[in-house]
Order: sequence, then structure tokens, then C-alpha cells
Amino acid sequence: MHSEDHNQDHDHPHDHGREHDHPHEEISITEAPGYYDVMETAVRELLVERKLFGPDEIRRQIEVLDSRTPALGAKVVARAWVDGDFRKRLLEDGRKGCEELGITFYDDTQLIVLENTPDTHNLIVCTLCSCYPRPVLGLPPDWYKLKPYRSRAVYEPRAVLEEFGTHIPNDVEIVVSDSTALVRYLVLPMRPAGTENLTEEELASLVTRDAMIGVVPVNYQKRAA
Amino acid sequence: MTSQSIAETVVPALGEVPIFVVGERVRTGTRFPVGHYRLPTYLRGKLGVVERVIPTMAVDNEEEGYGRNAGSKGHYYRIAIPMSEIWTDYKGQASDGLRIEVFENWLERI
Amino acid sequence: MSSEILVKKLPNDIGGDAGGKIEMVEHELLPWEKRCHALADVLDFHKIINTEEKRRGVEALGSEMIGKLSYYERWIVAFSNILFQKGILTPGELATKMAEVESRYLTDTALSKANG
Repeated sequence: MHSEDHNQDHDHPHDHGREHDHPHEEISITEAPGYYDVMETAVRELLVERKLFGPDEIRRQIEVLDSRTPALGAKVVARAWVDGDFRKRLLEDGRKGCEELGITFYDDTQLIVLENTPDTHNLIVCTLCSCYPRPVLGLPPDWYKLKPYRSRAVYEPRAVLEEFGTHIPNDVEIVVSDSTALVRYLVLPMRPAGTENLTEEELASLVTRDAMIGVVPVNYQKRAA
Repeated sequence: MTSQSIAETVVPALGEVPIFVVGERVRTGTRFPVGHYRLPTYLRGKLGVVERVIPTMAVDNEEEGYGRNAGSKGHYYRIAIPMSEIWTDYKGQASDGLRIEVFENWLERI
Repeated sequence: MSSEILVKKLPNDIGGDAGGKIEMVEHELLPWEKRCHALADVLDFHKIINTEEKRRGVEALGSEMIGKLSYYERWIVAFSNILFQKGILTPGELATKMAEVESRYLTDTALSKANG
């Protein structure tokens, strides 16, 4: 009934090496750069030669990207859990809230933080491409960028959540936000029960990337004494 | 002077004041433009409610796609649309909904 | 069946389309992919190619290329096309530089083999 249309925006789980299946090891110097790798190098070198940007800018932006991980988003969530005033400010203006914690936004995107409550569960998708709150979460996982998630999250969010092992009861509304413009989203998950005595750092360690996309809740299993 | 009285004397430029307000009922456009668009076809001609006015005025992203980097800024609106309005066979709950940011030229007052 | 649907519905516009099981795949970016992402950010910062132009450029590749090229492969081909359209680079210049990059690699390999 539902057939996969392989010609529509299909992607490869492994973006390289369709001709081999080895695990991702360090690329040795004897492996020739592929066509697109060469293309990227050529484009970059030509633009640097023309002085459209400096050679250090790419290097610096790689450092910027490497520094953006879900740990940043987790810190934002943990702070919102422990500080009610911060939470209010964050929900009012997500970008400003992140900037308060030193998370700079290197582009023109805005951020809306969506709080999960006992009545509402939020789920984030970009059906048209791969919009994602990169400054605060880093780069998105492949599944977020591939067709099945993008096409189905807006059509059957409850079934999609079940595939992630998440069951949302019928009395909880699901709100799916399709990012298509200047706004990006971060889900503020509910703080799990039993975490009253955890430090902010311990709370942050509970918060996963997938919880901030909205496909799973934040779980807490108290360790036996 | 009060804000009210200042507002009465100040004339804003065209487009400065958001056309739509929070809570307003709107319908998404039904046109099929050639080329780059950012309102998905699954959301054309749907009835919704303005949930937020995005405060940062910005360029129409469809024009941006063809190289407009500045000027002619307008407003984006976060629109709430029930799933049942989008899909006739929606299998979830009646209260489930979708949200999307839409540029002002894709919305009509109803 | 009218061809209009090809114009009216872009290949990336898949919300609500049939989709299969979600494979929870992810991968560590290859060095060139990370460079490509950084390149996109730098191009957007300078508005040489803004992010929306990149999106449009990827759409313009058409559904077959979109289906067969990987995520970052689509980006770098789109960038090349856009740079040609803007008169910033010519196809000949890029081809020449790509040949140079390739031969540089081959020379480096030959040298390291000779010295190895």
C-alpha cells in the first residue's frame, strides 16, 4: 500500500563508498579523493584565490561546527528545568535564551523553544529539506534528513513516534512543527519524575538529542543504592 | 505623551505593522508558483489560526532563493492547522495539529 | 497524466507522501563533507550563496540527481551551478582546477611511495 519511491529525494545511509562496506575508519592517504571531494576542494581553492573569503574562514567554521553538539541543547534544557525565570525568557525568545548561556547563533535563524507538557507533545521536522537548530544541537542525524521521517512525521506522527518506541496517550495532543523558514525549533522535554535531587549537570546528562527533536521523552532510572 | 497618543500621531511605513494578529483566522494560498517555494503543497488552501507573529522582519524566502539578500522585508507567521484539516484520513487524535511559519504573501484573511 | 505536476510539486516537497520504515541511520561526516558544510556556512555568511539559494539550487538538480546523489554531493554540485550562473566561476575554470587537484593528489602519492 505504501511503496517507497526511490526516485524522490533518496539518500544513502552511508554518504560515501557505495562500492564498499567497510566500517568508517580513518581515510588512509592512499585512498584517492572522490569526484565530489575534488569538486569541493577545487571550488574552495578558486574562491579563496579570488579573495571571496579567506582560507582560515573554512577552518574556523569547521571548529564552530565541531563545537556544536547536543550537549549544548541539554544545558539549555537543564537550566530551564531548574530556573523558572530562565524558562520563561527561553520560551519567549529561544535564541536570546541560548545566547544568555553563551551559545552564539552564527546565522540569521531564530529559535522557538517548544515545551512539552502533560497535555502537549511536540515533534520537529523539516519536510522540504533539513532545517534543524544547528547552532544549539549540532548537525542532524541522517534519518532526520531522509524521506521516511520527513514525509510521515506530518502525516502520521503517532506511528512515527511508535517507531522510536514512544507512545503518546490519546489525551495528549501532538503538535508537529514543520520548519520551512527562518525559525528553528528545540523541544523542551518534560523533566522526568524522581530527579528532584539531581544537580543541573546531572540533569543535562539525561537529555538526549532525540528528546530535543521530540521523538523520545527524557527518561530517568534511579540507580539502586 | 502616552503610547496610545504617540501611536495616533506616528504613521508607520507600509508593511511595518504586521498584517495579521495572533488569533486571527487565515487560509493558506492556493497558487502553484513556478520555481522555488516554501509552503509545501500539502498545506495549500488550508484553514488555520495565527499562533505567533515572528517579530524579526525578513526577506521573502522565495525571493531569497533567487538572490535577494536585503530589502522588501515582511513578516512571517506561525500558523496552527489541525491535522484533520490537512488529511481527510488522519488517524491520530482530533486535537493533533501542525505548525508552520508562512510568509505574509501566502496568507489570506477569511 | 499532465506534466504540470512536475512544475507544481518540487522533488523535495514530500510532506505527506508515502514513506517507508524509518531507518535510524546516522554517520560521522567525512572530512570533505564537513568542509562542504563549512563552505556552505561561509558562503551564506558572505551572501555569496545564501542558504535559500542553496536550497533552490539543490531543487534545480531535478529528481533523478536528487535521488542518486548524496546530501553533500547535491550541495557541492548546486554550488558549482550557482557560481557559474552568477559569473563567479566558469565551467572551464572549475574543470581545470579539479584536474589540478587530482593530479596534485597523484603526485603526492607517487612522491610518498617513492620516499616510502
